[in-house]
Amino acid sequence: MAIRDDLKANLDVSLAGSNVSVSSELPYSVGGETLYNKNMKHFYLDEDNIEITELFSCLDNNDVNQTETTVQGFLSVDAKNQPGDIDTVITNILNSKDAISNQTIRECEMTTENTNDVITYTFDFRFVTV
Amino acid sequence: MAVINVSAGSEAVLVLGDSAANANVAGTTGLVVPQMQDITINNSTGVFRFKTLDNTAESAVTTPATNQITLNVVVDSTAFFGDTSNGDVVVQTGLFGCSKNKTRVHFNAAFDGSDSGSKFLSGSGFISGLAPTVNMDSPVWVTPVTIEVDGDYSNASVA
Repeated sequence: MAIRDDLKANLDVSLAGSNVSVSSELPYSVGGETLYNKNMKHFYLDEDNIEITELFSCLDNNDVNQTETTVQGFLSVDAKNQPGDIDTVITNILNSKDAISNQTIRECEMTTENTNDVITYTFDFRFVTV
Repeated sequence: MAVINVSAGSEAVLVLGDSAANANVAGTTGLVVPQMQDITINNSTGVFRFKTLDNTAESAVTTPATNQITLNVVVDSTAFFGDTSNGDVVVQTGLFGCSKNKTRVHFNAAFDGSDSGSKFLSGSGFISGLAPTVNMDSPVWVTPVTIEVDGDYSNASVA
């Protein structure tokens, strides 16, 4: 199961009843406008990006590899009138990284960007396993 | 002149056994140490230096060598803890058992595989220096291994 699916399953539960819902669609663009800007207060998760690198290189070529998976999530809301529970929503999204098991590194970094009257939260999830 | 390139994955091989015959690099009985990250074969002679009144520089003679094989491996459960279904004591008890029990191990250290004519060093000694370690940044057990060689190396070619 893709990490995106696990994150979404966790967020479906943790964000239930909040002002933000989780979309099953990918954050693609239509006519130059991204879905998360078009459909504000909907959280969009992008597809997994996977990188496999060598952790230990062995003389018998039975190398030990590690897999790094990154997933981006996007949420846009009205900057003038943010949802009252935005802090809780952000905390729940950040904490959803802990729902992914069997990872040695589970990280999530959030950044914001203001465009006109819209604030977009970008979440960069990073997971590493061997 | 020919360099020995080990990129193929079957060239630099260390085989251990409870007898010279079982440690044969071309055989199937011994313990082929898996997932070696590196291997160093030391043949370090001592030096005795002396001065004489009729010379402007020191003279030197070499003294018996300290022979030692050091390697780092990713810990393989079977190789480390043993495989009791095998008849060879080294394979049965694994690297840890040989170290704990002070078992003499015979070795073949192949430089370029096990094909006919391939070069290898052989001898016997004792396993020492195990120090398995793991952490969350590199969450796989790795350990250094030292074979303290008792006596001299022999070099030969695979028949």
